[in-house]
Amino acid sequence: MNRTPVLDLVGTVARVALAAVWLVSGTLKAIDLDQTVVAVRAYDVLSRGAADVVAAVLPFLEIAIGLLLLLGIGVRLVAVASALLLLVFIAGVAQSWARGLSIDCGCFGGGGAVAPQATAYLQEIVRDTGFLALAAWLIARPHTLLSVDARLSAGRT
Amino acid sequence: MGGASRNERKRRQEAAAQRLASAGIQVPQRANNTSLIIVVAVVVAAVLAGGVVLYLRNAGTVATVTPAYAATSSGAVVTAGSGKPTIDVYEDFLCPNCEIFEKAYGNEIVSALNDGKLTVRFHSIAILDKRSSPAGYSTRAANAALCAVPAGTYPAYHQKLFASQPSEGSAGLTDDQLVEFGSQLGAKGDFAGCVKGAKNAAAVTAETQKAVANPAAQTNGVFGTPTVIANGTQVNLNNTNWLKDILAAG
Repeated sequence: MNRTPVLDLVGTVARVALAAVWLVSGTLKAIDLDQTVVAVRAYDVLSRGAADVVAAVLPFLEIAIGLLLLLGIGVRLVAVASALLLLVFIAGVAQSWARGLSIDCGCFGGGGAVAPQATAYLQEIVRDTGFLALAAWLIARPHTLLSVDARLSAGRT
Repeated sequence: MGGASRNERKRRQEAAAQRLASAGIQVPQRANNTSLIIVVAVVVAAVLAGGVVLYLRNAGTVATVTPAYAATSSGAVVTAGSGKPTIDVYEDFLCPNCEIFEKAYGNEIVSALNDGKLTVRFHSIAILDKRSSPAGYSTRAANAALCAVPAGTYPAYHQKLFASQPSEGSAGLTDDQLVEFGSQLGAKGDFAGCVKGAKNAAAVTAETQKAVANPAAQTNGVFGTPTVIANGTQVNLNNTNWLKDILAAG
């Protein structure tokens, strides 16, 4: 029995799900860019200037990654970028947790300082790890259905 | 097993490619490059969009409203303006969120003060003295701001300190720089002596202790800056219309 169609389907679901995550998170950040500045600064890792640059570029980068995944363009490369970005996010949340900061990750908009009992570091890391698993699948097996990649390479089987 | 079948498939692909080549058919190899080019183009577009946002934001901060309100001080509390609605603003000059607060609402506050629609009690707080190296910038900056009251330059000096806010972990502005700002803004009297003599340091410490112990200024038992209190209760700064609401309520 041939498992390829099933694996393609799983990959397609992973691709579209990860695309949705990036599109939603990027859009929410882009809607309130000032709040995004607060969120990035709250991690207290980067200098003010660097944090402001990250806060300005990140929302659009997330939307770009989301669009590329949705269309299935350069899936493996974009999945690698997704995984790297998620690892940076997980590291950021982990260092906040380890240093005893009280912040919201601002993963889906919002962010900044919150009350100590309102932090959700573990949930945030678990959630990002789940997204990381989607990216890992696509890195290992980037072939999916309904992708521009497949169309571009259709000529050379 | 999986590896064996993969090798078998690869071998057959290569054989097929060879047959095509010997028949004079060029197999296009551009597919991956096309994807790569699109990926790079989209990412470049995203970075450019971020650059435009940065540019516009920095262009916007230049236009600050020129303050024209009167200020008096008692201890480490500066009372500004003469309007009926009164708010208490607690700020530390090293606190990044206070700088963001000033950037977001500074012009709105100054306009209301200029127009006599608001009274603000600015509490000069130093809770981040340990976040500069050497420690103590918060107190030095708060002291200098209070020195600016009798020197007649507090409103502009307050703006200047946030516009030139040093990063946490840095040495902060030197006393000479703090004095220089005063000179630029036309400080009267012995401003330099007041700044270098830390005349208001004790008042800042006392005000900070009072604020930290004030239940109304705490969020879940912790005091932080910026904090705004109106009518004895803390203002929710997540509501971007907080000041408009206060002004509307009179």
